[in-house]
Amino acid sequence: MENDLPRRREAEGLSQGELAEVVGVTRQTINAIERDRYDPSLDLAFKLAAHFECHIEDIFQPEETD
Amino acid sequence: MLDTLTPGTDESGQARRVYYRVVYAIFAIAIVGLLAGMVTGRELLGTIIYCGGAWIGSGITFLAPKLTDVPLQDERDTELYNRASGLTLGVLFVLGLSVIPAIYVLEAAGRIDPPPEVTGAILLASGLFLLWGVAYGIVKRR
Repeated sequence: MENDLPRRREAEGLSQGELAEVVGVTRQTINAIERDRYDPSLDLAFKLAAHFECHIEDIFQPEETD
Repeated sequence: MLDTLTPGTDESGQARRVYYRVVYAIFAIAIVGLLAGMVTGRELLGTIIYCGGAWIGSGITFLAPKLTDVPLQDERDTELYNRASGLTLGVLFVLGLSVIPAIYVLEAAGRIDPPPEVTGAILLASGLFLLWGVAYGIVKRR
């Protein structure tokens, strides 16, 4: 799953740790999501979307396959 | 840029680090205590240290996440544990499936006489799979 979490986070001037605190996970989890190494649960995706005041699909997009 | 962790605020990170250090230190002391007891001939003392450490460490692991708002473990940790557990069981299952029937057949044919350690290991693996099956059934129905 691709995402533009780093761009949105940096646009708000948040560190990974600060965003992690806001949505109630660890900094390592935010880092893993940003590096496309972990797909968040639906619950966490909703929390991130709520924080950035957008829809989940605005942040996360399925990887395009050939 | 994304390969590095950005610094956080980072009280929760600090709490998480302290939590893991304390838990790992307790388990390390327990294991070292047991080994030291075996080496020095004070098995009872070593066992007491080990049991104490194991209970205290397990207690902290179980209770600490419930007693604090700081996310000591989160959904990714849970997924990593689940994947590691699944991989461990998968390896054990493949090894068990390929080895245990062969040992039974060869033993029945009088070709081998497995030592008690092998029999114990087979029983342990069988018990582990049985426990996993029971746990799976419980989790599935809850």
